[in-house]
Amino acid sequence: MIPTIGHAAILVGLALSAYAVVAYVLAARGGDARLSVSGRRAVIGSFVAAGIGCAAMMISLLAHDFSVLYVARNNATTTPPFISAISLWAALEGSILFWALLATGWAALVLHRYRERHRALMPWVGATLAGINLFFFTVMTWPGNPFARTAPVAAEGLGPNALLQNHPFMALHPPLLYLGYTGLAVPFAFGLAALVTRRLDEEWLRIVRRWTIIPWIFLTLGIVAGAWWSYEVLGWGGYWAWDPVENAALLPWLTATAFLHSAMVAERRGGLRIWTSALVIATFVLTLVGTFLTRSGVVASVHSFTQSAIGPWFLAAIVIALGVSLTLLVWRLPDLAGGGRPSGTVSRESAFLLNNVLFLGLTFAVLFGTLLPLIMLATTGEQISVGAPWYNAVTVPIFIALLFLMGVGPALPWGTASWRTLRDRFTVPLLAAVVVASTAVLAGIRDLGSLGTLALAIFVGGVMLDEVVRGARGRARGRGEDPATATWRLATRNRRRYGGYTVHLGVLVMAIGVAVSSGLAIDRTVTLAPGETAAIGAYEITHDRLIVEPLAADQRVIETRAEVTFRGPQRGTLGTALRDYPNSPTAIATPAVRTSLGEDLYVTLLASDPGSGTVTLHLFVNPLVVWIWIGGAIAGLGAAFAVWPERRTRPVTQPRAEPRPSRASVETVEGA
Amino acid sequence: MSLRSLRWLLVPLLVVPLTWLLFTGFGRDPRVIESPLIGRPAPAWTTETLDGGQLSSAELTGRPYVVNFWASWCVPACVDEHPVLAAAHAEHGDRLTLVGVLFDDRPDDARRFLDRYGDAGYRHVLDERGRISIDFGVVGPPETFFVDAEGIVRAKMTGPLTDDVMARHLGTILPGVSR
Repeated sequence: MIPTIGHAAILVGLALSAYAVVAYVLAARGGDARLSVSGRRAVIGSFVAAGIGCAAMMISLLAHDFSVLYVARNNATTTPPFISAISLWAALEGSILFWALLATGWAALVLHRYRERHRALMPWVGATLAGINLFFFTVMTWPGNPFARTAPVAAEGLGPNALLQNHPFMALHPPLLYLGYTGLAVPFAFGLAALVTRRLDEEWLRIVRRWTIIPWIFLTLGIVAGAWWSYEVLGWGGYWAWDPVENAALLPWLTATAFLHSAMVAERRGGLRIWTSALVIATFVLTLVGTFLTRSGVVASVHSFTQSAIGPWFLAAIVIALGVSLTLLVWRLPDLAGGGRPSGTVSRESAFLLNNVLFLGLTFAVLFGTLLPLIMLATTGEQISVGAPWYNAVTVPIFIALLFLMGVGPALPWGTASWRTLRDRFTVPLLAAVVVASTAVLAGIRDLGSLGTLALAIFVGGVMLDEVVRGARGRARGRGEDPATATWRLATRNRRRYGGYTVHLGVLVMAIGVAVSSGLAIDRTVTLAPGETAAIGAYEITHDRLIVEPLAADQRVIETRAEVTFRGPQRGTLGTALRDYPNSPTAIATPAVRTSLGEDLYVTLLASDPGSGTVTLHLFVNPLVVWIWIGGAIAGLGAAFAVWPERRTRPVTQPRAEPRPSRASVETVEGA
Repeated sequence: MSLRSLRWLLVPLLVVPLTWLLFTGFGRDPRVIESPLIGRPAPAWTTETLDGGQLSSAELTGRPYVVNFWASWCVPACVDEHPVLAAAHAEHGDRLTLVGVLFDDRPDDARRFLDRYGDAGYRHVLDERGRISIDFGVVGPPETFFVDAEGIVRAKMTGPLTDDVMARHLGTILPGVSR
């Protein structure tokens, strides 16, 4: 009964989405406002339908209803309720259902929010979003039906994917990532709508920027949560492997970030309209390519789901999205060209442009590395894989250059920078960086990458601090506020700027975490009999005992666990295990991680001998890793701060979004 | 043709190569590595059968045989291929031996599976501690190995068998079956 309701909901969603496309296109062409209203209602209805579908699937999973093929494949009678619930997105068909819920949710939210505004734009936005929803419902109706039944019904199911049931992060990482992916359809829809209606103006830029930042936050958090998951679960001591599917999430993030920066130039100085709309389109197409790579099994990866019939459907979607949007873009090229105001060589504009060039360089490098195995297979038939060393060699210099720009760019004035401004702003931070780097050398850090990143981080942090202090001091002096109030008001009155700085701060923290943890991590492999001790770094690790027992939560899972005591900067006990899942041919490692702000102690069980109790352990001491996750959280918070709705009480006469009174007047003249 | 209209070339220039590239990925599983056993003697084994007897690979040589690794929990793949195996046994059983090997499965569950989906009549053996699976390099069921009368592995299928695949692979070990 429940699966039948779920299946019916999908069919209803399909019909409503199809209707919404037609209604919105007619509304856009004929202009009857009532068609827009009914299109919107249909989209909201499709959201409700997707919600019912997801609820039906979740109930089927919790009830272990093996008459549903998806449940039989991804659930067992012994599966704990929490794992059953999140299995909704643990495999192909369920994740598409969940995906449809998020996609229709974004569409309903945006169409509802702008129901009274942007009357020329919205019908095309609605048609595009409903078209994307239609695609997901189509996939679920034909090749990827989540409610496909089995007959006869099995007594026991296969159980959830072992890797996915091993850590609670599976509850977090995919939803965040999917929220980001699906949300990026919104700027794409606005992009197409603007191309069709030729309304690629400042108002459009403002909406698109806002609706890029919101999914960007989720995408950022999703990527960081994924890195964290991989660190906590996969047991190799690292967090980023340049896996094709990690890259697939990174690619739209890179273009979206590039867009967020170029949009500022476009808004401030005009111009760059072809460029910004191309970035919006590229971002969405890259989310589709990413999905395609994950779902079709074309590229080998820990993330790939099993091969299925939906690959060609996704390929068709990519071709349609890319074809339609490129055609529109090329059609409108004559309208879009020109419009920018010239500026000096050393200026904030050129910093932004260089930023975009670097981001695009990164995008191409990562895309090339990801697709190269496919290119080779298609041309020479050779099977190759592109490894982490290649990616590191290509991307690290670009990342470092971006880090440098991050410090310099925001401190440069619009227009043209004078030599004096440069000296004024960069001397002290530069000196600070040199001092810290020299101290670090004296302290014994010799690794060049770590030193460079550390020095750059100090420089960038110094410039940023100087910016904030300058602004706050000016405000405190001008209005007689105390420094804390002045800083807070400065920030809340200029959310975009100071939210942006906070994101930069988060990236800075992450960069330090990445540089130090990859430069200074130590690891060793030891074989210990019970009672024996090994040393790593400042730690002594004693192997206490080896235990083999079924898991309390699921008796079908056998856990082989080494219990160890560690002494050093932190002390305590850890259990590191290998788990044998009935449906996994290889045992799944469950590394033990003891985290502190300074360093992580990370222990993986590689092998064990149940007879003697001897174990082979891989020990790591990873410094500052926790700061990578903290930096990600700071970046997410900063972006949220930037888009937080502003109070509308401030006087309209106040100059817009520019904190320094001395420069604001110049800018007003320039921008006039 | 004016230079301006050349811009339309952008669309096919970007769309066609990407489509072609992604399209070539279909139908290949990048994780499939051909079994190193092909062309070599099949691993030898002696073990208990599901009905309580004993069976050894030595008893099988002299005529072609098929080793199918399966499990009752392997739904739907093992269910899907079950009729294909039954049909092969019915059609070629007089000159071909089929053997099912239980991959990480409980004998009771396996018997229930056979009760439900039909026992075609060929023998199934237990794989104590996964030794046979390890010798054959089995990653996960279903996997099927085709061994000729000389005891040489001639073909391997990863994933559920279909009638076509079965006929093709049988052709490598059975004379007279079209390849």
